[in-house]
Amino acid sequence: MAPQMRTPSGRKLRSRSAIQEVCGPADDKADAAPCGRLQICDHCQGPIEPGELVSHGGKNFCCRGCLGAWLIITGAGLDEFYRKRSWQESGPVQGAFAAQADPEELKKHLKHRPDGDELSLQIEGVRCAACIWLIEKALSRQPGVSQALLSHATHQIKINFDPALLQAAELFTLISRLGYRPGLPSRNRHLAAMARERRSLLARFGTALFFTLQVKGYSLALYAGYFQGMEASYRLLIQAFAAALAAPVVFYSGWPFIAGGWRSLRNLAPDMDLLVGLGVLAAYAYSLYAMFAGGEVYFDTAAMIVTLILLGRLLENGARRRAAGGIERLLALSPEQANRLEGESITVVAAGRLIPGELILVRPGERFPVDGRISAGATEVDEAIISGEAMPVLKNSGDEVAAGAINAGAAVRVTVLRPVAESFIARVAALVAEAQMRKAPVQRLADLVVARFVPFVLLLATGTALFWLARGAGAEAALLPAVAVLVVACPCALGLATPTAIMVASGAAAGRGILFKGGDILEKVGGLTLAAFDKTGTLTVGKPKVTGIAVAEAAEGASRETAEARLLTLAARLAGGSTHPLALAIAKEAKQRGLAIGIGTAETIPGHGLRESSAEGELRLGSAAFLSEAGARVPEAAQSGQTVAHLALGREYLGSFYFADPVRPEAGEAIAGLHRLGLTTAILSGDHQASVARLAGELGIARHAGGMDPGAKKAWLARAQEEGEQSLMCGDGINDAPALAAAGVGCSLAGGTDIALESASLVLIRPELTLLPEAVRLARRTMRVIRQNLFWAFFYNVLTLPLAAAGRLAPIHAAAAMAASSLCVVGNSLRLARKAGEQKSELRRREKKCSVQR
Amino acid sequence: MLGSTVMLLILSLFIGLAAWLVFLWAVKKGEFDDPEGPKHRMLDDDDEH
Repeated sequence: MAPQMRTPSGRKLRSRSAIQEVCGPADDKADAAPCGRLQICDHCQGPIEPGELVSHGGKNFCCRGCLGAWLIITGAGLDEFYRKRSWQESGPVQGAFAAQADPEELKKHLKHRPDGDELSLQIEGVRCAACIWLIEKALSRQPGVSQALLSHATHQIKINFDPALLQAAELFTLISRLGYRPGLPSRNRHLAAMARERRSLLARFGTALFFTLQVKGYSLALYAGYFQGMEASYRLLIQAFAAALAAPVVFYSGWPFIAGGWRSLRNLAPDMDLLVGLGVLAAYAYSLYAMFAGGEVYFDTAAMIVTLILLGRLLENGARRRAAGGIERLLALSPEQANRLEGESITVVAAGRLIPGELILVRPGERFPVDGRISAGATEVDEAIISGEAMPVLKNSGDEVAAGAINAGAAVRVTVLRPVAESFIARVAALVAEAQMRKAPVQRLADLVVARFVPFVLLLATGTALFWLARGAGAEAALLPAVAVLVVACPCALGLATPTAIMVASGAAAGRGILFKGGDILEKVGGLTLAAFDKTGTLTVGKPKVTGIAVAEAAEGASRETAEARLLTLAARLAGGSTHPLALAIAKEAKQRGLAIGIGTAETIPGHGLRESSAEGELRLGSAAFLSEAGARVPEAAQSGQTVAHLALGREYLGSFYFADPVRPEAGEAIAGLHRLGLTTAILSGDHQASVARLAGELGIARHAGGMDPGAKKAWLARAQEEGEQSLMCGDGINDAPALAAAGVGCSLAGGTDIALESASLVLIRPELTLLPEAVRLARRTMRVIRQNLFWAFFYNVLTLPLAAAGRLAPIHAAAAMAASSLCVVGNSLRLARKAGEQKSELRRREKKCSVQR
Repeated sequence: MLGSTVMLLILSLFIGLAAWLVFLWAVKKGEFDDPEGPKHRMLDDDDEH
């Protein structure tokens, strides 16, 4: 999975798509033939912005940073990196070359070891195995570094170095200069907790597996003795060894079940842990008794139950970790650092240490680390992630800016208004946390079944004891069949029923670009009844597109086509070098019509437009006010309510371009797919009621609400939840985050904002809405398989219950029931994979057919 | 006969325990934390030309 990309200009995922928009799919080769006048950077493979070209030794770079990285890499003899890499995306990593560490914070993260210091850093921008190779090699070739290991799974690096030869800050800077973005790993606390949990689970499972295999060995001897006869002294010896080896499995590996079962018993809420804990303890205690009384032992049964259930948990943990890791890597690090101005000197400090009243410098492409007020300079600010508005907003000195917004214009000085903990994002995060806390705990299907099964088994066990007592048996003879009932009723396949299905299903889903954050999410998605969508950026593309061109009457005369083409050529000459969304839309339109695109010598006037002097006069593209400054008059009719840009040459008005945010091409199909699955759909948007209603009508969406702020969206979903709807919310902005957390299932698309991705429990790796009905279908199929699994898990055990109650249970029966149910469950889950596989190959066949036809 | 069986059983137990302790040590050391990396690192030509 690739990290989210931001170009220096701060536009998300713009770099590669910009090339593709302007000159068709870019070639992957570093020295791809420059198309039009755009060249590809030899280091980052991103497009070279006109006028930014840096040449060195016959190579071209998009910035000094990339040249620096190239010099370090080739200088260290690591140029093999350029042959090895297989990047899915291009362009420099946002904030790479500028990342600086606060030395105080860095020192806190150092671990002192007898053989030197150890530094752990989280690295952003790792795109393939070659990146890891490069970082490890480049660091370990530094004098003083003894080892550098970068984890493929978490992108965390551990560097062991000699503090006498090297400073931690130097290592930090080197990684930054290589074109990656190092950060302090504090932000990934929950990942660290997950790693700890996995380690403990692995240790418990490994122990259980290891000793269970040994116990099985002894059991085999006991089975042989059972059929062929065995001397009592040998039998006791082997049983004693089996008891000793099963003890760590029951009391160490099985401890979570015993503790959890005790808890659930005290809460009077029987769950799976109780059934397992009870079964395992009963089997072990019964066997200990039987060993001395000369009966049959079930040590292997107790050990097998624990092992198989732990295996199930391990599989589920792996599936969850994979999904969480994928989502984590979709997130870019939010700015943890700020450039504090003290007089004229700049100090890099952790954003959390800023206090109101301090001055900070925010460079173009950086995000505002805190809420503040611009004290010097003017810039355009991209607030798309906050408001969903795609157009940058002009901010002058004295205007307020919100944390998280991207500075898309020029460097500005900002006075800190509020500490980080009280910023806009922090307030939204608080709303998210509140919504997550209010969420009802999930009742897993397996737990529901167990909750009914456990009282039944307890009743049956009591009934058995009472029956034998009534028959006149002694207390001991009555208790033994009752305990046997407990032993055999505990289905070890139960531990595998849900996790195997979830692992197989989430693996299949990940292959198609759908990430479920956990097994419970799969269960919830299967039961959805309502899907709500945000409008901008979710149902629509979120990027403006030219929808109409109006040519001034004066220029009319030739055919409409050629007049429009002439106007577009002039506009594209100006727009070519700009990263403003409207300029990009014009450049794209020109490209689609096969017209030439400018190289961007035009001057950008923030908040107004673009201008360029040419032989014919000054060419201006922008707002009506901007044109009238030059003396051109824009007719009233052209200034409609839509988003519009006007073009003028000197004093002469030439025409206007109209823009709209187009609906995603696959949105209609996705909505229809959801309707076919029986879901209701809704739009929740901050936009005007009228435009929301228009879009709802167009897509056939029944419920819609406009003019909603984050709190209103959250309340709307909470109300739907109360009405008994199982709701899904799909959105990508910061303003959607509380709603994502409040909904039963929050869904976010790749390219969404960090906080939206974090709040979402379902993430679509590709921004395609058609993945949503697919996710629902897959989840429903998984639910069916889980239900079948639960049946098979209990089926064989229930068959042996009468034997146990009758006091005729032999170890061989328990073993057979266990093996049969586990095999059925695992086999059934794998069927899910095969079905998915078949569909995949079907798809591939269709694709092949298409390409042949082409 | 019984004596040698006990001996063999105890021997197997100790070998088993040793393997178990090695496993626990490896888990603690984080040997299983990155299941992806080794397959890439294995292919590095570390010998410097």
